[in-house]
Amino acid sequence: MLKMPEPDSSVLARRKEIIAAMRAIVPASGAVIAEEDALRPYECDGLMAYRQLPMIVVLPGTTGQVAAILKYCHENKIRVVPRGAGTGLSGGALPMADAITISMMKFNRVLDIDWDNRACVVQPGVTNLGITRAVEHRGFYYAPDPSSQIACSIGGNIAENSGGVHSLKYGLTTNNVLGLEMVTIEGDILRLGGKGLDTPGYDLMGIITGSEGLLGIVTEITVRILRKPETARAMLLGFPDNQSGGDCVAKIIANGIIPGGLEMMDAPAIRATEDFVHAGYPLDVESLLLVELDGPAIEVDHLINRVGDIAQTCGAVYSRISESEEERALFWSGRKNAFPAIGRISPDYICMDGTIPRGRLSDVLAGMQVFSQRHGLRVANVFHAGDGNLHPLIMFDANQPGELERAEAFGADILKLCVEVGGCLSGEHGIGIEKRDLMPEMFTEDDLKHQERLKLAFDEDQLLNPGKVFPVLHGCGELKTLHARAVAAKFPDIPRF
Amino acid sequence: MTETISPTSPAQLREAIAWAVADKVPLEIIGQGSKRAYGHDVSASHVLDMSKLTGILFYQPEELVISAHAGTPLAEIAAVLAENNQQFHFEPGDFPSLLGDGVASRSGTLGGLVACNLSGPRRLKVGAARDHVLGFGAISGRGEDFKSGGRVMKNVTGFDLSKLMAGSFGTLAVMHTITLKAMPQPETTRTVIIACDDVSSAGQAMTAAMGSENEVSGAAWVPASLIAGCCKDAAALEIATSAQNCLALRLEGPEQSVSWRADALSRLLGTIGDHAIVPVADSLTLWQAIADVTPFQGRDGILWRISVPPASGAAVVGAIRAPAGLGQLDVMLDWAGGLVWAQCAQCDASMAVHIREIVQKAHGNATLVRAPSNIRREIPAFQPLSPEIMRINQKISENFDPVGILNPGRMIPAHQGEGA
Repeated sequence: MLKMPEPDSSVLARRKEIIAAMRAIVPASGAVIAEEDALRPYECDGLMAYRQLPMIVVLPGTTGQVAAILKYCHENKIRVVPRGAGTGLSGGALPMADAITISMMKFNRVLDIDWDNRACVVQPGVTNLGITRAVEHRGFYYAPDPSSQIACSIGGNIAENSGGVHSLKYGLTTNNVLGLEMVTIEGDILRLGGKGLDTPGYDLMGIITGSEGLLGIVTEITVRILRKPETARAMLLGFPDNQSGGDCVAKIIANGIIPGGLEMMDAPAIRATEDFVHAGYPLDVESLLLVELDGPAIEVDHLINRVGDIAQTCGAVYSRISESEEERALFWSGRKNAFPAIGRISPDYICMDGTIPRGRLSDVLAGMQVFSQRHGLRVANVFHAGDGNLHPLIMFDANQPGELERAEAFGADILKLCVEVGGCLSGEHGIGIEKRDLMPEMFTEDDLKHQERLKLAFDEDQLLNPGKVFPVLHGCGELKTLHARAVAAKFPDIPRF
Repeated sequence: MTETISPTSPAQLREAIAWAVADKVPLEIIGQGSKRAYGHDVSASHVLDMSKLTGILFYQPEELVISAHAGTPLAEIAAVLAENNQQFHFEPGDFPSLLGDGVASRSGTLGGLVACNLSGPRRLKVGAARDHVLGFGAISGRGEDFKSGGRVMKNVTGFDLSKLMAGSFGTLAVMHTITLKAMPQPETTRTVIIACDDVSSAGQAMTAAMGSENEVSGAAWVPASLIAGCCKDAAALEIATSAQNCLALRLEGPEQSVSWRADALSRLLGTIGDHAIVPVADSLTLWQAIADVTPFQGRDGILWRISVPPASGAAVVGAIRAPAGLGQLDVMLDWAGGLVWAQCAQCDASMAVHIREIVQKAHGNATLVRAPSNIRREIPAFQPLSPEIMRINQKISENFDPVGILNPGRMIPAHQGEGA
């Protein structure tokens, strides 16, 4: 069981006083939630195995209110858990008994669409898809598209540096954000970046993106919007084994083709999704690639042919090309519904998120089969094949004693294997609490301490989202102590001039 | 006398920095020294020379990933990538020639490239060095070896310290190993050249091009002499003689697609002035020259690099030109207007303040790239930060380099400090 920081009883004792202070800052009706029933919906995020009622939930409506809340929390040493739409899968918004959960969902407006600079300024509670909805009437869109895009907030996307199925060609959140307004725990309002491209000083915008709510609260976001490609077509390619599917991915890229989307599913995932959405997936293949090419029609047709030829040389036994927008949407419907499809055939599942060097795919899938036997649980795989991001879906029944623990141990085994082959623990869901204790698998003590030193520069008292990302929070004193060694001889072996 | 320390392994680098920490010895960190004149002079008794810590560690073209020690020459990396028809997509130019400090023949090292977060014309489409660093290993100003990121494309495992390193000018840590994303070279390329003397029309045309479906991967407004110097195409040469300035709009991709898009773009913008579609060889030469900022190379003038929202570039040029006193002002626009290269014959502190005020009003920033040393001492190289952002920058610096031994003063000289 994950250990979270002990609640501070002195803070709990001041709960009434804190509620009154919050109501003074955010007077709108219903903006400060303190009753148990109303707190219940905030007890977890998308990682539903972990639940905790927050001390209070506050829903500020302005940047000034966020600044006042954080200043108060800083002065009174009260912990804060930032929260977007609550769709995160790593428990990054898991509340704490002695912390204020700050929900950003009242920040739900699109503030400015700047067509000339191809930029859109939004508040953090706007959904990912909401941005595209706001600009699509003029043929633009926002590129990163996590599968939760209908519900997840752009603020949460910043926190987790979300990806999606188009990230190999169009980048992750961090490559598509131009500017941020954020509030520090001390209540300072920082404006980082903007509609221009280069900014002086350290790249604070770059480090805030993907920082999982540990460095500040983002209150405004400027994203890059792109002109929609003239056309897009998808193709389904079936292979008799995972190795040849993986080889095909490598060859497509080695031939200089970067598809808009490049997804892979293994046999269990193909079957589960086909039973659910009837996308017309072949059931007699072990590995299915979904390749999307986008751009001018003339380019897409040309590349479809080239990818088809490459697939032939890799031993494809099935090939189908979308001939209409409806058919393209149908091809995607299977992949996009993979999670609920697994939900239909298993009472519960957890979704892992490791990334691996693509060339190690078949080794890792083989390893998963061994783990599956060992833990006695089934696994299905959907895979952002283009960028090596795996989503193994481990199936279990939480009502069976011990199955959740086995599923978690299975997941940990997979992630350790990902790190062992040169990959990482999380591609796009974040560490949160879910993978927190695995961080030492990938990082040394000094690696982690340098990350924490960045944290220290923003939040010395460690009030923002404690218990997340880092397995052990080193004390401020320990992080600041300089372990300068006395060097006896002045490094005699190093060439000097 | 300055002593030079040249580590040949990460372990030696660590030893050297640990010694400097213990003895509180400031270090100037250089690779080939090609961008030494970018930013402020570092006053340090010791030079930490990274040019001996070299070597490509692995390169997997089908995985789009290359990893090398920080001192590896960029020329060597570019050659290896080119063998596999790959490249760094962010297209760094030959910055050293711009600084004119006598090392123009060296294109610099991988570490210098990332530390300065350089990028070229394709930045507007694919980002800068920061967007392509997958991971790194470094020795911080605490004498400790640490890493962040990794070698895979997608990674949210802990804070993204690669972003912190990119553009930090070696002031927080000295990278010894860097892993980057490589990308395929486009199959072919063409450039639409349009005669256009008026900067506002040029700005509007670039905006229209970027808002079209044609996937423009370079949009610049350049002196016609640059076209004349780079192109052999007869139609392009004729345009170059008829105008003072030209628009250049680049298209990249498969042959059929590029030629289709070039036609579409010509139809969209052809009413602005005479136009031509230049073929691949001219196109490659021209964009290399734009990346290298060739028009302003090897000259003495004071050179500003101004980053603004792209649609404001033309207006910023107009505003800077307005007052007397700057003398002759030569301008080139890149990034569809988002990058203004401005060279003036003379500039003093009050003119610098004037330029920065205009740029700040346009929500941008101005970097003083090249100037005589007396002016460089007087004027901050980088746009001063707001007090709140400055405070966070300083705290980061105190945590990573508590003794202040790594390139002290390179980004912000001590005397210009807070509120400069």
